[in-house]
Amino acid sequence: MAEELNANVLLVDDEEQFLKVFSQRLEGRGLKVDTSTSGEEAINKVKGKEFDAIVLDLAMPGMSGIETLKKIKAENPDLQIIMLTGHGSIDKGVEAIKAGAIDFMEKPADLNKIMEKIAEAKHKRFVIVEKKHEEHIKEIIQSKAW
Amino acid sequence: MKKFNLSNFKEWFISHDLFGLLGSDRYKSLKRRIVILEVALSILPLLIVVTISYFWFQQILKDDYRNQLKWDIENTGQSIETFLNERLSFLRFLTLSYKYDELSDYKKLSNVFYAFKREFPGIVDIGIIDDNGIQIAYAGPYKLTGVDYSNQNWFNEVVIRSSNISDVYMGYRKIPHFSIAVKKDLPEKEGFWIIRATIDMETLKKYVYALNIGEKDDSFIINKDGILQTDTRFHGKALNKYIETPIPSNEQTLVKECDIKVHGHQICGYSPIKNTDWFLITVIRSTPYARIPGIFRNELFFIIIFSILLNTFITTVIAQAIVNKIKQTDMEREEAIASCEHAGKMASIGRLASGVAHEINNPLAIINEKAGLMKDILESSDDLQKNKYKFLSLLNGIFDSITRARTITHRLLGFSRRMDLSHDLFDLNEAIKEVVSFIDKEIQFRNINLVLNLSPELPRIETDKGQLQQVILNIINNAIDAVEEDGRIEVITEMRDNNKIRIIISDNGIGIPKDKIKHIFEPFYTTKEKGKGTGLGLSISYGIIQKLGGNISVESEVGKGTTFSIDMPLKYEAI
Repeated sequence: MAEELNANVLLVDDEEQFLKVFSQRLEGRGLKVDTSTSGEEAINKVKGKEFDAIVLDLAMPGMSGIETLKKIKAENPDLQIIMLTGHGSIDKGVEAIKAGAIDFMEKPADLNKIMEKIAEAKHKRFVIVEKKHEEHIKEIIQSKAW
Repeated sequence: MKKFNLSNFKEWFISHDLFGLLGSDRYKSLKRRIVILEVALSILPLLIVVTISYFWFQQILKDDYRNQLKWDIENTGQSIETFLNERLSFLRFLTLSYKYDELSDYKKLSNVFYAFKREFPGIVDIGIIDDNGIQIAYAGPYKLTGVDYSNQNWFNEVVIRSSNISDVYMGYRKIPHFSIAVKKDLPEKEGFWIIRATIDMETLKKYVYALNIGEKDDSFIINKDGILQTDTRFHGKALNKYIETPIPSNEQTLVKECDIKVHGHQICGYSPIKNTDWFLITVIRSTPYARIPGIFRNELFFIIIFSILLNTFITTVIAQAIVNKIKQTDMEREEAIASCEHAGKMASIGRLASGVAHEINNPLAIINEKAGLMKDILESSDDLQKNKYKFLSLLNGIFDSITRARTITHRLLGFSRRMDLSHDLFDLNEAIKEVVSFIDKEIQFRNINLVLNLSPELPRIETDKGQLQQVILNIINNAIDAVEEDGRIEVITEMRDNNKIRIIISDNGIGIPKDKIKHIFEPFYTTKEKGKGTGLGLSISYGIIQKLGGNISVESEVGKGTTFSIDMPLKYEAI
């Protein structure tokens, strides 16, 4: 824990106990954590707030993790989503990556690794946002006659 | 010891668990049936042909024999006719060569008689008779000069017809004989004279017996009144009345079947002898034509026996080859099915494993985070007392998760599948609840309404719990796949006939079309997308239920749903 990671994270899992403890630990490491217990709730939260990373459980009753992932990605392709699952099967992981997740982790996962992934996600997102700004600036420069 | 033998016995007869309906000796029985059918099929036409040709051949021989007989009897008749004609001609020659006066002389007559006798055997004597019927000259062994024949039939005949061959009679000599006589008119005068010779019956007999006939057969001559002219073997002595067969009226040689009461079936031949009132008759009882078919029959018998043996041998060899091929194919098929069954087991184990992993990894994740949080707290603060209650609550959470994980592993152990049948005594309703609890998550995910309608009065059932649970799980899994979200699955248990429990699993899913329902218990039959189903679940389920002595059936209507019914005996008994 060399440096403080200042990121907005959304945890999505149907296990409330897990959400509670996991968010406590992440918060203890300086992250700003939001939680939701279902896919629908998560989609709503994403609409109102910017997140640097989303940690999404794969198997949930109602809307499944993959479905949630696809919907969020459809609305906001810049969002960095890390899949977390109890299923250790490869094909689910492949499916998730194909649908746009940046990473896939098995439960129980090492907190430090998750932290790394979140940091990576934040960095990626930062780069994407920078690039967008750059392009925006270029556009402005080209469109205006100086 | 007894148990060991019993299991050995079972192994020997039940070559494969799933298809162990017939023992290995079904191949022997199959071979036997092929051989019997094949031999019967090939021997039957042979027997028919042989039988037909045998009777045909016999008929040909019989016809042939009858023709031969007809020819013989006709020939013999002609010989007798020639014999008589020769003697008649000679008498006629005498009347032309000699005058009445010359032959009236005893010495002259004697000379002529001896010459005659030398040339024509069978002549007994010769006599000259005047127109009053008095024998005026005689040459022969008897003293018959002066005998009056005027009242005798032959004399009257010869007067009218100028020649005569008489019937056989005893006459003065008391031995059967017959006479031939020729009339000669005296020149330029009224009146005539007659030359007459008598012929011994023995001579005629030689001709009659010359017919080539067997010991049981008979041949003889009768006259038109049915009086025997020669001695017979079976029909009485000469001059007796022959009564057994009617005499045909026509003048032609005839051979026909004649049934006679005393002697039964026989062949009779008739041949009229020309210029006489005689018929030559042959009665054949020995059936010589049956002798050749006898030889023929023996040969046929050996041919048939040989054919049957050869046929049986070849058929056995071929049948053995066929049965071996079938056996090999069966074995390959059984192996394929066994390996597929294994693949099916592996597939369901895989499915279970991934479900189980999820169920266990979740509590592990909670434990991980709680323990991690405790570590975090310890690292940031030394004040244990302050955090005591927090720690206790976290530890309780850890224990809860451990309990949760343990429940799952225990359930999994309960599901571990044994290859051999086990005999468990258990509450079926509880077993069903166990199965349901295992797939509870999936049901929840898909918002399926699972209704358990279990009869509370079920007795405990004795069967293989794990395998029965596998079947129920398989059917419920299928039902889950069949229903849409918010579908309904119902599981019912009820008593049947005091010794059976019926488990009904019904859903309101898509249903199974009629043309597919008859295939659903077949291995590899699946309607699921490629990769989703092995097509083995129901066939394995079917095999298990059969093995457990139960029965599984299905009813379905497209769009309304499917109902599986399983009848299980309360007590499992080895088949």
